[in-house]
Amino acid sequence: MRMLTGRRILIVCAALAGVLLLVVILSLKFGTRSISLYDLAALLFQAATGHSEQISSDFRLIILDIRWPRILLAMIVGASLSVAGASFQALLRNPLADPYVLGVSSGAALGSILSLIWAAQLPGATPFGAFIGALAATAAVYFLGQRGGELDSYTLLLGGIIAASFLSALIMFLMTTISGRELRGMAFWLMGDLSTPTPVNAGWLFLVLVLAVGAIYTTAADLNLLLGGEQEAMHLGVNVVRVKLVVFLAASVLTGLAVSVSGAIGYVGLMVPHLVRLLFGSDYRLLIPATALGGAIAVVSADTLARTLVSPTQLPVGAMTALVGAPVFIFLLRRSRT
Amino acid sequence: MKMTHKRARAVAGWVLLAALAAPQSGAQAAPPAPASAKTGETLVEYHDDLGRLVRLRAAPQRIVSLAPSLTETVFALELGERLAGVTDYCDYPPEAQTRARVGGPINPNLEQIVSLHPDVVLATRVLNRADTVEALDRLGIPVYTTDPRTVEDVVASTRRLGEVLGAKSNGESLAAAMDRRLVDLAHRLAGRAPRRVFFVVWLDPIISTGQHTFLADALRRAGAESVVTAGQDWPQINIEEVLRQNPDFLVFAGAHQDDPQGTISSLRKRPGWSSLDAVREGHFAVVSDALDRPAPRMLDAIEDLARQLHPDAFAPRKTPQSGTVPRSGRL
Repeated sequence: MRMLTGRRILIVCAALAGVLLLVVILSLKFGTRSISLYDLAALLFQAATGHSEQISSDFRLIILDIRWPRILLAMIVGASLSVAGASFQALLRNPLADPYVLGVSSGAALGSILSLIWAAQLPGATPFGAFIGALAATAAVYFLGQRGGELDSYTLLLGGIIAASFLSALIMFLMTTISGRELRGMAFWLMGDLSTPTPVNAGWLFLVLVLAVGAIYTTAADLNLLLGGEQEAMHLGVNVVRVKLVVFLAASVLTGLAVSVSGAIGYVGLMVPHLVRLLFGSDYRLLIPATALGGAIAVVSADTLARTLVSPTQLPVGAMTALVGAPVFIFLLRRSRT
Repeated sequence: MKMTHKRARAVAGWVLLAALAAPQSGAQAAPPAPASAKTGETLVEYHDDLGRLVRLRAAPQRIVSLAPSLTETVFALELGERLAGVTDYCDYPPEAQTRARVGGPINPNLEQIVSLHPDVVLATRVLNRADTVEALDRLGIPVYTTDPRTVEDVVASTRRLGEVLGAKSNGESLAAAMDRRLVDLAHRLAGRAPRRVFFVVWLDPIISTGQHTFLADALRRAGAESVVTAGQDWPQINIEEVLRQNPDFLVFAGAHQDDPQGTISSLRKRPGWSSLDAVREGHFAVVSDALDRPAPRMLDAIEDLARQLHPDAFAPRKTPQSGTVPRSGRL
């Protein structure tokens, strides 16, 4: 394995950022109506310089008011889910860990639904409810996973699976017994959807994303040591309890954020960190930023395919992430073994 | 099951959505208010069934429909020419399928809708999402949402849509014709005890309709009474409950591509179902799925069902009024 240098981190991240930019441009270009690259450039330039009224109102609406908010949301959701997945995998030293398996997503979904039942009128109720739900689920799973005063990976994973099915049952119960206009939209949202971005302040989402990923990044070196085992990490001077708490909290925030705006988009938290590991190695100092960028690339690509493949009909983005992600993952996994 | 996969998905989606829809206050109709002229064009204002103020140009020339029932209604109002876009599920009349598609009712493609430059988008509360309405609102596209809960509401809604779409007289005469047919039907069925029916929305699991749905009202109009009294819109029913109620008739509403006969014959071999009197005696009624579409065509289905359930009420006096061919009630 190559030495990890600051230079290598920069090069990999710059390359991934380049791919992301390319994917975003293609996503802006293609749709029910495609725009030529020249027109797209002109449109973006005019919009950036505040002359958007010169642009044909059709393309202004489609590119700036429909496609761009959707892409922005896809990037934020992808980065959040991927980094959350990578974090849970490190904490549990278990490659199967991700927000869905651990029940954190179900907690976030239940929190969103409860917030809609009790406080639908309050602005920002859904993201806040999702965050509280994710935190509560994480805390519950964390304590379920304790064995003899220590966090046991397998007990925790089992606890997560049990929590996930229990919370899903609660959601099912609420959705069949309580009726309401908002809940009807909920059923669709639960399947994972980016097709109708609700007007959330992308600036706030981005700020939360950066803060949470930043918090996880401060523990990157410790996470590397944790991979070798908790006892060993402790002997090497890692404050294991603190690292776990920081990462659990930040990963819950990320999951709550993603679920509250897009519902249950699966496979991303599992797939992207694995792909990044196969391509660039498992050092968390590189893995965290690369996973964030990779997640953004994955979800923007998946959502672009979801809305163009059988256009004008749109597929749920969750179906695309699974459909595209699984074969790529298997291919890379087999190649890395030979 | 014999029902096709496509149908299964559609039904599952319907049931899921409808199960979550709550009864709200009835349809609200406000008189059109003269509106301010913007960019030289006269706009008119209406309150839609959700009470939202909708501002649109008088006699909109480009209409996008987000529900099969609305597409049918627009065609019935003889405004089919103005229909610029319809959903993937809009299959009636056949001409509707020649219009631009905007995706499914639950997640229509906003880009496609914008590209069609609609003067107004028509939506229903039951089938479409509030998110979609709000998103179109933000994009500056007027959305008129209907919410008929009873057969009577459908008549009123049809009349109202005619007015909103600038074809007031078409709406009036269509609604009046619907009213006449309903009165005539009520007259024919007067004094007859309603048949106790079990309406089969889906068989695996058994799903029927609750008492507050549009469908339950359509059944009442056809001289039927659902044995299911659940308050939920699309309750899942235990076979034991069906046996306990022992309905006079089983009612199926199937699209033409389905195989209701196959479904029915399979029931004879099913434990539980096979011991129902209605199954043993072949008391099945099969009507078109228009019965469950809040559009003018539902009257054909209601009359068709009434004929199957109460054949003697239609005995010699008159020829059938509509173009529907009554299907045999006994198999």
